[in-house]
Amino acid sequence: MHELSLALEVCRLAGEAGARQGGGTIRAVGVEVGDDAGIEVANFRFCLEALLAEPPFYEARADLVPARGDVLRLLYVEIDDGHPDD
Amino acid sequence: MAIRTIEVCERIMERNDAVARRVRARLAADDVTAFNLVSSPGSGKTALLERTLAAVGPALRAAVITGDVQTHNDADRLARHTESLVQAVITGGACHLDASQIEAGLDALDLERVGLLFIENVGNLVCPAGWDLGEAAKIVLFSVTEGEDKPLKYPKMFRNARYAILTKIDLLPHLDFDVTLAVANAHAVNPGLRFFRTSAKTGEGLEAWYEFLAEQVRPMAVW
Repeated sequence: MHELSLALEVCRLAGEAGARQGGGTIRAVGVEVGDDAGIEVANFRFCLEALLAEPPFYEARADLVPARGDVLRLLYVEIDDGHPDD
Repeated sequence: MAIRTIEVCERIMERNDAVARRVRARLAADDVTAFNLVSSPGSGKTALLERTLAAVGPALRAAVITGDVQTHNDADRLARHTESLVQAVITGGACHLDASQIEAGLDALDLERVGLLFIENVGNLVCPAGWDLGEAAKIVLFSVTEGEDKPLKYPKMFRNARYAILTKIDLLPHLDFDVTLAVANAHAVNPGLRFFRTSAKTGEGLEAWYEFLAEQVRPMAVW
């Protein structure tokens, strides 16, 4: 039942990480989810994808990375800085 | 467009855990020992607290923060058995208490007058296991009507608890519950788990529980 609140926290942390990098559009978030983290993975993915589909994320991808133990971490964000490729 | 990957590596629970550290520091500053009571619904948390508050609540300067999903029923029951302040937290459908709710609860307590704080969590053996509330220890309750394999079904809760209370032992003559097996299952998950066996109905086992609580509370300073 708490998967939604954890997904909201992922989005908050991802937004902060993006802001620290000067902004841009977040295209993906990578979250490490332990098998003892107390997370129902399908439910968590559903909540996270629903949040990432809406502004300010614009259909960002949710990459859930399986792990052992109770780890639950935001590993990375992928950011489109809006600048053309070099 | 240029897509960059930014390494973050931040724990999702860090914000809760930071609040829990603040709670722990506030409790330590006032010499308050806090226990987080966790269990499935109906295992007897409130009944145990009613007896405990009536017997030793004033002596141990006990207070309670209780987390009903809906209603003030538990808080109302506890308030009938003690003059200690009961601060009800209504979680509104959430499955656990978090540290910010406890921090808000502390604001409503005069911690200088509290020696022992019971946090009665939402009845749930899954979600509360992962949330640090700033407590000294989690105490997991399970009743003899729940089955000996409860610790194996919910290992994280039993692993994260320091104490376990087997409740409703007055019902043992009417059940096929194997106490030895239940304790063995719990110790298979957490060998260091200390057990109490209680009946809030008959009072059996409560003296050992009260003695344990008294050992956890520092005497109030006399000036």
